[in-house]
Amino acid sequence: MQGILIVIDTIDNRLQSSAFELLTFATTLASFDSAPISVVIAGDSIGETADRAALLGFNVIVIEDGRFRFPNPDLLFRCIRSIIESEAPKYICFHHTMRGCQTAATLSALTGAPCITAIESFTVTSAGPLFTRSLFNGKININLSPGTGPAVLTVLPGAYPAPEADVAIHKRGKVNHMQANRIESPYLPVSMTDSSAGAVRLEDADVIVSTGQGIGSKEHLYLIHAVASIFPNGAVGASRIVCDRKWLPYGHQVGVTGKTVAPKLYLACGISGAQQHIAGMKGSQMIVAINRDPKAAIFDISDYIIVEDLSKFLPALLQKYNDIYS
Amino acid sequence: MRILVCVKQVPDIESPLSIDEDSLWILEDDRIAFRMNRYDEFALEEAVLIRESLVDVTVDAITVGPSRAASVLKKSLERGAVNAIHIVCETPGYCPPALTASLLADYARNNCYDLILTGVMAEDDMQCQVGPLLAARLGLPCAVSVVRESISLAGRTITVECEMEGGVAETVILPLPCLLTIQSGINRPRYPSLSNVLRAKEQELLRIFPEGNAATFSIEKALSLSYPVKSTHGTIIEGSTEEKAEKLLTLLHEKSLL
Ligand SMILES: Cc1cc2nc3c(=O)[nH]c(=O)nc-3n(C[C@H](O)[C@H](O)[C@H](O)COP(=O)(O)OP(=O)(O)OC[C@H]3O[C@@H](n4cnc5c(N)ncnc54)[C@H](O)[C@@H]3O)c2cc1C
Ligand SMILES: Nc1ncnc2c1ncn2[C@@H]1O[C@H](COP(=O)(O)O)[C@@H](O)[C@H]1O
Repeated sequence: MQGILIVIDTIDNRLQSSAFELLTFATTLASFDSAPISVVIAGDSIGETADRAALLGFNVIVIEDGRFRFPNPDLLFRCIRSIIESEAPKYICFHHTMRGCQTAATLSALTGAPCITAIESFTVTSAGPLFTRSLFNGKININLSPGTGPAVLTVLPGAYPAPEADVAIHKRGKVNHMQANRIESPYLPVSMTDSSAGAVRLEDADVIVSTGQGIGSKEHLYLIHAVASIFPNGAVGASRIVCDRKWLPYGHQVGVTGKTVAPKLYLACGISGAQQHIAGMKGSQMIVAINRDPKAAIFDISDYIIVEDLSKFLPALLQKYNDIYS
Repeated sequence: MRILVCVKQVPDIESPLSIDEDSLWILEDDRIAFRMNRYDEFALEEAVLIRESLVDVTVDAITVGPSRAASVLKKSLERGAVNAIHIVCETPGYCPPALTASLLADYARNNCYDLILTGVMAEDDMQCQVGPLLAARLGLPCAVSVVRESISLAGRTITVECEMEGGVAETVILPLPCLLTIQSGINRPRYPSLSNVLRAKEQELLRIFPEGNAATFSIEKALSLSYPVKSTHGTIIEGSTEEKAEKLLTLLHEKSLL
């Protein structure tokens, strides 16, 4: 039992933006017990992506199968199970995405290895690595030990940088192909839709005034619209909960399952700062957050912090704006 | 058709959460409010919607947790679950998803469900594990982050739409029985009806006390809790509400945003 197997996420043969970050995570982990790293990449025509990983110096196992045209976490699990039977890696790493978590959990259940999810960092102790992840929406961290046996890990996207493409330093890795045609799966993907390009052009706005559940009700949304309208190129964004409640259409949603934005100013109103939301807006040039909870996680990534109740603060802000600027 | 819905009781994340003396778990004092995991409300509602649209469907709600967790089962009965099962587990502290899933599997295995629903994730530990772990333990196919489902009884299949990151979703066909993890927004959870509230009051929960199980799997060990180290230190804008509003406007003006 040695070595690290990492499973790279692709959709429609395209690498997910954060996919290669796992290479950095695994390299850091391997530097403590000099374990060899192999990369698994699955798709229906994925040779080019596999070559890119090999160029970075990693050995790659390519699984090409028509059934991987659309993501198939079940088939992927079955393929990996047959790989680990021969390779017996110590750690199997996935990205903490919906599909990554599914395949990781299935592997963990069927191999009896523990699964540590949403890893943000780790330290090395005499008893092995200790992985840190967050609980309660980022308010508290927990340190988890997988023990001494093999473990399945999922790494939070954004926690590690992707490696820089520096071909000169590395020896090209080997590329091996694996056949999946003998492996059956009850999971039958039939189509895929992409709703990321919608009617609401959040990406083009200089200022996004974004609302969370803290606005309280649909009736109070006019305050958010009014604040957005004081900026020359302002738009209204929202957390998922706001869209789930049908206070705003999903086109306004910012986050992992919504839009990724990087405006000059992101004004977060009554947003708690869940990882899934932060992933979509942390690249903003300036973040100002208004929240009545002084410990809200959104404040950890904010440039300016305003602890206030929105129902008092937003009217006051609009009033002051009118007094001063119009 | 028999449907099982897994519901978890979670602390309200806006409650004042602090770490206990041994740094092993949060301090569970009376300042913490507990409620049903939000994603499980969507899972339960979806089960109840299926029950209303097909004939002869039962919906069982199940939870693993200490005595206080019984309240989420009462809530489930009020919102349309037919039976409620409480696997009583008083051990405080971090509960590995593998353990929860194995307790749930022990019950589900003997009760032949056609469909098992969980939430996509628990809001407190945010693992996204218990659903697929449970499916794997029962040998059932599984789809995660489901935002739409439709059952074909004739073919014994279910067609689901699974949401992925970045606005992409895929449509998948699975055979029944299977397990789905339900994403928020799939429906609008209802308020309890008066008749269900009255029924829930009367109804007994099935309580199960699991035996100290000899786990056949290894689990991760929680060594300590800590407060996150803040990476950036933002500037706190202080003053009265009006002063803060004015300071913010001045700041935005200086940065040429206004
Ligand atoms: C697979 C998956 C994908 C997800 N994708 C996304 C995504 O793309 N985008 C997204 O946003 N979420 C996403 N989520 C959900 C995410 O985990 C959080 O549940 C969500 O972001 C929380 O929204 P919120 O901050 O509006 O609500 P809450 O977490 O309920 O926070 C509300 C905040 O408002 C504050 N507040 C309340 N009242 C007031 C008041 N009167 N004045 C001031 N402040 C007040 C509270 O202190 C609190 O901090 C996803 C979850 C999963 C499982
Ligand atoms: N203690 C529990 N009792 C019942 N169901 C649970 C429990 N823990 C998790 N679940 C279910 O599994 C889902 C995912 O939880 P998690 O894997 O902890 O993120 C939840 O939405 C619940 O449906």
